[in-house]
Parts: sequence; C-alpha cells; structure tokens
Amino acid sequence: MSRRTSMLLLNAARAAIAGLAMVVVSGTAWAAGGPPATKLVNVADTRGLEPGLGLWVAEIYNDGFLLFGGVVVLVMVGMGVVLGFGFDRAMSLLGLDLGKLHHDE
Amino acid sequence: MTSIFQIWLPIAGMHFNVFLLLLIGFTVGVCGGFFGVGGAWIVTPALNIFGFPMPYAIGTDLAHMGGKSIVSTIRHGKFGNVDIKLGVSMILGTTLGMELGARLVMALERVGVADSVIRKMYVVFLAFIGSYVLYDYITHTRQTRRDVARGAPPAKKETVAQRLQKRFRVPPMIHFKASGITCSLWLPLLVGFTTGVVASVLGVGGGFIRMPALIYLIGCPTLVAVGTDLFEVMVTGAYGAFTYGIKGRVDLVAAMWMLLGAAAGAQMGTVAVKYVRGYSIRLLFACTIFIACASVLLKQLELQMASSIFILSAGILISGVILSWLVRGIARERSSRRGSPAPTAGV
Repeated sequence: MSRRTSMLLLNAARAAIAGLAMVVVSGTAWAAGGPPATKLVNVADTRGLEPGLGLWVAEIYNDGFLLFGGVVVLVMVGMGVVLGFGFDRAMSLLGLDLGKLHHDE
Repeated sequence: MTSIFQIWLPIAGMHFNVFLLLLIGFTVGVCGGFFGVGGAWIVTPALNIFGFPMPYAIGTDLAHMGGKSIVSTIRHGKFGNVDIKLGVSMILGTTLGMELGARLVMALERVGVADSVIRKMYVVFLAFIGSYVLYDYITHTRQTRRDVARGAPPAKKETVAQRLQKRFRVPPMIHFKASGITCSLWLPLLVGFTTGVVASVLGVGGGFIRMPALIYLIGCPTLVAVGTDLFEVMVTGAYGAFTYGIKGRVDLVAAMWMLLGAAAGAQMGTVAVKYVRGYSIRLLFACTIFIACASVLLKQLELQMASSIFILSAGILISGVILSWLVRGIARERSSRRGSPAPTAGV
C-alpha cells in the first residue's frame, strides 16, 4: 500500500469517527429536547372578544384540547339532530309525500 | 357593508365572511345528501382558497361533516334508504382497512414516494370508478331502449354483486332487509376493509369509493347505497371531529355556521333523490368523480388556485342541477295531486 493511499484511508477513518461523534452528540441533544416543536403555543386570542359564541369557544379551546374535542362532537351532533328534525319538519310543511320510497333504478 | 357579515374565527385566527361559510356548507350539503358522500373534495379546497389554514380546513370540514350527515341520515332513514345492519358490518371492515392503509402510507413516506405515488393512484382510481359508472349507465340506457323498442320485458343480466353473493357463501349468511339482499357477512366486511384501505391510502373520506362499492360489489339499490354510505360518513365524521378537535384543529365557530347551511342543503339534496331514478344519480355521480379527478390533475400540474376555484365552481354547478331536479319534482308532485297533467317527466 502506498503512503498516499494509507493517508487517504487514515483521513477517511478520521472523518467517519468525527461524523459518528457528531451524530451521537446531536442525537443525544435531540433526545434530551424531546420531539421537534412544530408550534410552541396554540392558544386562541380572547383579547378584545365580546361575550358571545366566539369568546365561549375560545375559552373552551384554551382550557384544554380534550374538553374542546368533546365539545366539538357534542355541538355538531346536537346541532345535526336539532337541524335534521327541524328541516325535516319544515320540508313536510310543503305538503310533500315523504314516506318510504320504492327503490326503482 | 360587507364588514357587517365578517365574523371573527377565534381558533383559525382570522375574519371570514359568514355568507361564504353558509354557501360552502349549503353546496356540499346538497351534493352530500344526494350522492351520499362527505364532500371533503369541495370543502377543504374551498376553505383553503379563502385563506383558511389547511389543517384547520380539514378539521373544520370533518366536524361539520358529522353533523351534516346526521341531517341526511335522518331523512334517508325515513325514506327507508338506510341499511343499519349493513352499515355497521361495513364500518367494522372499514376501520380495520383504514388502519392498514395508514400504515401503508407511512411505509411509502419512509421510502419518500408517498406524495407522488398517492396522487397518481388517486387520479387512476377515480378515473376507473368514474368510467365504470358511466359505462354501466350507458349500457343500461341502451338496453332499456332496445327492450322498449322490442316491446319485451327488461332483460335481467347477472351483475358482479349477484355473482359474488352466489359464489361467496361462507357462513354466517345474513339477510339485509333494507337492501333486499342475502349474503355472507364476510362480503360487506371484506368490501368495507378494501374500501377502507383504498380510502386511507388515497386520503379521501371514502364516500367516492364506498358508494359505488355498495352498488356494484354488495348489490344495494342506488338509494340504499346513498343512505347507508351517509350512515357510515356520520360515524367517521364524528370520529374525525373528535380526533381533530383534541389536536386543536377545528374552528368550531366556522363549523357551526357551515353546518347551518349544510343542514338546509342536505335536506334538499336528500329529498331530491325522491324525484330521480337511481341511474340518474349514478350518471351525475360519474360526472362528479371526473371533476374531482380533473382537480387533482390540476394540482399535479401545480395549479393549486385553479384547481380550488374549479372544484368550488363545479360543486355549485352540480348542486344547481340537483336543486333544479328537486324543484321540477315538487312541481310535478303538486300538479299531479291537483289532477292536472304532469309538466315534465322524471329524470
């Protein structure tokens, strides 16, 4: 093996060790810091909001996402049921026959 | 003047025109009630082009979708179009399929090809479904015309679903009353599973895939396919509302306004099915699939804004067609009640 080749191999080995060390050190730092942050604060701004629907929603949102998730489902289901039966009643006031349908193709 | 109608959305952190929310909701409500689909293909790009951040657009869409589907399911249920037993058995398969699909997507992401592969698959798949539904409509119409010309009773050809029901007889065999079919319980489970995998991989709610699958693979009448699919959308929409809600990605104020418009639209879209034949629904559904396909192609060409405007305009146009069928149907029903001749024939 020539001197030049052995120097090249030695440099490559040094670079590999340095690279590995960087990966280990940065990996440890990364692990210590936890998962990468996407958005540090996720808060609805309630400043200047007058009492009403917007403020109520924003306050629940700021109280906690688990509660907010539950409220979203309850509000959507509640509104769906009320509006469903309400619009159904309104449609029947048009005097249409809204009984069972024949499944003709 | 316009600022009067601007409302503050505290979670998305922006002002938004309330009429726009009502219009988007109404449009998707009409289409959803008529076709039995959730309508994410209209709502998400529509909200996004008006400045809604994408994660909030998806979450808000899913939240209002759950409520809107309840409105349609109530009406379809009264029409006898919802097969709850079939819907529940499909939900089981769909849930498992969606989980597997999500894992497949993660595997594709690790390889770094998820985006390009999924978008191409989406276009090919939608084009295939749209073409098949259109082909079925054309052959059915031609056959009916031939039968009428000969004065013969309509010829009954064995469908793919009937073949599947005959050959795939693994117990337990179940009778689905509303659909009027008897088949192995494994058939809807497997179809649900497959559509779940495809829907999850392609990132769509599933209505575009499940509705034709219910017709062509299970053998449901079109109206029962629409109603049963909405029953499934209702469940997946409620789950989607919760999962995006706990991640803080739903603007509840926007979802409530949209649901108000969607509930009115869904009621009208659902009642419109009373005045059309099943095959007319299939034809318009095929056109809708081609439109969704074209919008994805535009996105692929990096024409994001053009794609969103195209899909929103097409949605408004389609709901306009459905509403015109509804108005004609109501006029026909009223005039036939009064004893005068019907003004137009049903579509």
